[in-house]
Amino acid sequence: MSPEELTQLSIAEVGELLRRRALSPVELTRAYLDRIQREDGHRLAYITVLRKEALAAATAAEQEIARGRSRGPLHGIPIALKDLVMTRGIRTTCGSRILKDWVPDADATVARRLAEAGAILLGKLNMHEFAYGPTGVNPHYGTSRNPWDRGRMPGGSSSGSAAAVAAGLCAGALGTDTGGSVRIPAALCGLVGLKPTYGRVSRAGVIPLAWSLDHVGPMTRTVTDAAFLLQALAGRDPADPSTADVPVPDYARAVQGEIRGLRLGLPKDLFFERLDPEVRAAVLAAARSLEGLGALVEEIPLPKIRHAGPASFAIIASEATTYHEPYLKTRAAEYGDDVRARLMTGQFILAGHYLKAQRARQVIRAEMDLALGRVQALLLPTTPIPAPPLDAREVTVDGFTEDVRAWLIRCTRPINVTGHPALSVPCGLTAAGLPIGLQIVGRHFDEATVLRIGRAFEAVSPARGRRPPPEA
Amino acid sequence: MAPISIHLLQALSQELSQIPVDPGDLAIAASQLAAQLEGLARLDDLDLSSVEPATVLLPPMEGPHVP
Repeated sequence: MSPEELTQLSIAEVGELLRRRALSPVELTRAYLDRIQREDGHRLAYITVLRKEALAAATAAEQEIARGRSRGPLHGIPIALKDLVMTRGIRTTCGSRILKDWVPDADATVARRLAEAGAILLGKLNMHEFAYGPTGVNPHYGTSRNPWDRGRMPGGSSSGSAAAVAAGLCAGALGTDTGGSVRIPAALCGLVGLKPTYGRVSRAGVIPLAWSLDHVGPMTRTVTDAAFLLQALAGRDPADPSTADVPVPDYARAVQGEIRGLRLGLPKDLFFERLDPEVRAAVLAAARSLEGLGALVEEIPLPKIRHAGPASFAIIASEATTYHEPYLKTRAAEYGDDVRARLMTGQFILAGHYLKAQRARQVIRAEMDLALGRVQALLLPTTPIPAPPLDAREVTVDGFTEDVRAWLIRCTRPINVTGHPALSVPCGLTAAGLPIGLQIVGRHFDEATVLRIGRAFEAVSPARGRRPPPEA
Repeated sequence: MAPISIHLLQALSQELSQIPVDPGDLAIAASQLAAQLEGLARLDDLDLSSVEPATVLLPPMEGPHVP
């Protein structure tokens, strides 16, 4: 198998080669580093590449494996981190000019857990500045290109994470998701992206956008790979008091099961209004495929869910501006125009708006919990539109024109407000060859069922086996 | 709904938040606020009077602010 072919394999596939010692971690890491060197100049997925450090870690993994010690399915697997995950001794820019030279003196819990699982860190990935935007457009480091069409947005804010995994520049990556920033780029770049339950994965050492809505999650080429990463990440962390002491199941085993007899809901309120026709067709076809696998699909009313958008706006704007206030007072000119303007907006959200939003959140969550008492998961689009052109400001669907950011976050941000786990899985391509994402939302802390449904669908998805065109 | 005055936003920002602002940013802020105020007002439809607000427990460890 050629080095190029190695970089296209899933973590499960390449892990099998490593375990059989048919491939060494050094060989695999070198294949990725060489591809990054050749390709990333025009893809702009990475902000920092750690060639020397990655090869040293791969050598250590190789020696451990040779001694017969396996750390599990991530041992020797080259991954990368969104550049807001703190890494000891390695700069962490947050995609900003303000932190362009900042070198943390500690690792984020998630970085440490992946290292302990034996993953090899290739580098730090591009992103929307300070994670405050769903397009991935970055004025400081350039905008990561969508591997399916370089003229299209990768989605954000975890833009580099999606671009890198989809383009074969790492085997898996971490993103963060405050209004959809894992799931949106995963959908737009044809990947699997998981936002775990709020409290399932530690955010300690991850630069916040909005404390009460931020989640860390994996972005991978397959559902099984996402399960491997979640296994390493999940669990209580004393450094993040919001993490819950809830047992962590064996996700790799959980994804194997059947879905026959599972009850699934289609929430038509909000999520199926004003959709690109190709997105609507692909998501409804996915629901029929799941019925074909034995699931029972029914429509579910969620009339209160449309309040989640304004609530999310008030919470993100207030919390983000609070975190950024010291920089706004002294270094405002160093922000990109779009992020600075959004942070300025946060000053004018009243305390009453914020508290009302946090109250509304409880009501919206209760309605979602009630719906998820009737069914085990909900099916909805991840984004109402496929990847827009890089320079798009507005998008028109069915004669309705709206800001591109509002389009991208409409179906994802309600799930940050409720905190439920949500998985985006590729469910088709448009006629123009752009990926479409199916979103599967489950009960709190039941990522196992969400992943199981995702894996069952993945096996019959029309997107199965489809990869970005090599020339893009 | 009356348009939001940029001069008012500028005064609030400078007097209450003590954040120096570019009036160009405030035009965008005014437009973003205008787009959301109706939705924020509609949160009252949810009858929130007896609802305990969700709160941030404690923020996790985060990077220090760089001067």
